Amino acid sequence: MDLFLDGTLMLFGDPKAILIFGLGLIGGMLFGAIPGVNMLTLGAVVLPFTITMEPSHAVMLFSVIYCAGVFGGAITAILFNIPGAPENAPTCFDGYPMTMKGQSGKAIGAAISCSALGGVASAILMMTATGVVATWAVRAFGPQEIFSLIFFGLAVSASIGAKNLWKGWLSVFAGLIIATIGTDPVGGIPRFNEGSFFGLEFHSYYLSAGIHFIPMILGFFAVAEVITQAVNISEGTRERPKAGLEFPSFAEFWRVRITMIRSVLIGFFSGILPGIGATLAAFLGYSQAQRWSKNRANFGKGELEGVVASETSNNAATGAAMIPLLALGLPGGALTAMIMGIFQIHGMEPGPLIFINSSDLVWITFAAMFWANLLIVFLGWLQTKTVVHILRVPFRWLAPGILLLATVGAFALRNLLIDVWVMFLAGIVGYLLRRTGYSAAGIVLGLILGKLGESAFSKSMQLMDYDFLGFLSRPISAALLVLGVAAIVTSIVSEVRGKDMQRALID
Amino acid sequence: MTGSQNEFADASAGHPNLQRLWKPITEWTIWMVLGIVIYSLTGAFDQEIAEYAFGAAGWPRALCIAVFIGATGQLGYQVLGMSRGGDAPAADDAGAAVQQPARLSGWRVAQRLGIFVFPLIYLYVTPSIGFYVSTPVFILGVLLLLEVRSPVALATVTCVVYGLLLVVFTRFFYVALPVGQAPPFYDINNAIIVFARTGL
Repeated sequence: MDLFLDGTLMLFGDPKAILIFGLGLIGGMLFGAIPGVNMLTLGAVVLPFTITMEPSHAVMLFSVIYCAGVFGGAITAILFNIPGAPENAPTCFDGYPMTMKGQSGKAIGAAISCSALGGVASAILMMTATGVVATWAVRAFGPQEIFSLIFFGLAVSASIGAKNLWKGWLSVFAGLIIATIGTDPVGGIPRFNEGSFFGLEFHSYYLSAGIHFIPMILGFFAVAEVITQAVNISEGTRERPKAGLEFPSFAEFWRVRITMIRSVLIGFFSGILPGIGATLAAFLGYSQAQRWSKNRANFGKGELEGVVASETSNNAATGAAMIPLLALGLPGGALTAMIMGIFQIHGMEPGPLIFINSSDLVWITFAAMFWANLLIVFLGWLQTKTVVHILRVPFRWLAPGILLLATVGAFALRNLLIDVWVMFLAGIVGYLLRRTGYSAAGIVLGLILGKLGESAFSKSMQLMDYDFLGFLSRPISAALLVLGVAAIVTSIVSEVRGKDMQRALID
Repeated sequence: MTGSQNEFADASAGHPNLQRLWKPITEWTIWMVLGIVIYSLTGAFDQEIAEYAFGAAGWPRALCIAVFIGATGQLGYQVLGMSRGGDAPAADDAGAAVQQPARLSGWRVAQRLGIFVFPLIYLYVTPSIGFYVSTPVFILGVLLLLEVRSPVALATVTCVVYGLLLVVFTRFFYVALPVGQAPPFYDINNAIIVFARTGL
């Protein structure tokens, strides 16, 4: 507690630290909320300037951007059905229908409160148990467990956003196949970069590097949404969303308290695992909320509990993602890798000794993440009262801006126009898939987890000498695999028997 | 033969269900063709890796097989739904989605086509004429496609969106957007960049 208070005093006792904290908070929220750019864009822009900063300020700035950015992406997910980042994708499922029902204020209010709650809870867990949790996670989670966790996550989340279980799985498989483009994780052999197609030879340097998930996300969500709305306008069937400023009541939050607690735990434990982080956390949180909810039939139609689960989980992963980074020097995602870069720029090495050698840095970062998550409530409340008014601007006026932001966002990633082509083609495909009941979110989930899953699988096979039963010899891996298989089998059996279809999809 | 099997027999004998059956079959065919094409492309990198028995092609091939199973499972699910005499939800959704309300006028057809093709044309011409020249035309085109007809709205939205892009991405973030290759456009694009960075 003393260390936390010291960190807080260091943060708020230094005007420069306060300024950096404030800029990081506002910048993260803004970049998270603008379709086409995200917290990684901001991180990439700011990274060179951290050379002249004190290391503690630089790390603190990025941790604040991380917390605020994960929340910021919920705003566009709720208002326009366009998630700012993959971890906000499940927020669309109920957030956008709530907007269509005139409950945008309520949805954003829930996202703000739950992001703050998830983030604060995660920050407290991070402060109290970094060492223990990091050691446990590294010892208990080998490649077998990571593969089994990804399998379990896909098994319970595959049907989210799709019309039926099969379409959900096919969407995930499509994402997993797209993730194989590039080089294989073991031998580095290029895949799908050349070949022959109906007698036509092709060779592509672009495909050698793989298809980046950012243009795909922008295409599947931002471009597909604009196309959907444009077609609705041409058909005269577009409904204009209503701006609502009502905040959720305490009673509504109390009703979903169990969902919040469950989502914090799911988010925290997913966040610890390198590479898995907030995206799988949000999908798992959402699917489990749907699984256990009394209102499961309302999920996907504007259920507050859906927004609560997704936003609590993804923000709970932020604090947890700092644990392997600080305690073991293992970055779990792109932004934590940038923080790792800051350590290297300043000639520091994260790991167990950092708690002794750079205690100031660690505790100002912990304090900043705690306060950033708390301040999200205040800033988010202001945002609710202001940003919701964007809905009063006709969509046809906003559409060119959304398309161009997405265009610049996809281009700026690698300065390649072909990324923009990929984005627009993904948009057209996403529109068609959406209209035929497939899940864009499922494809993105497969795309993000595909490489990690294959890498974990190949390492597991090598470690287990190609004995598939080896997965069952480790308790955590076995439990996750059995649960995943059980989830698939029960849902298929229920579907074949023609029982309650909704239940089948969830179970 | 059970009742449900009888119904399915009716369906295959000209029942309206038969008309609905082509949609799941089309979907199944698309997935199977995609899976087969991808599987055949894996032959190009089917190399052994010394330390990994499944090689580079093992994982993508397993996924292709998963696609075959998934697509066939979906077809079976939809056929089963029809054989029970109930709706096949997925097939119906797909059908409803692609169903056209009535014959479209020439403008509507052009508008629909434009929604899909116009962004691709924009992307095609941008490397030649540059982002800064093609973008105002793109904004205007999108607004017209979305049935904005007021000259004031067209001018205001174009100026605001274009101005914000210049300020944010060119002045503040120095994003190196394409400046075109054709001589007059190259100069015009660079002049706009200079103006955005020094004149605004």
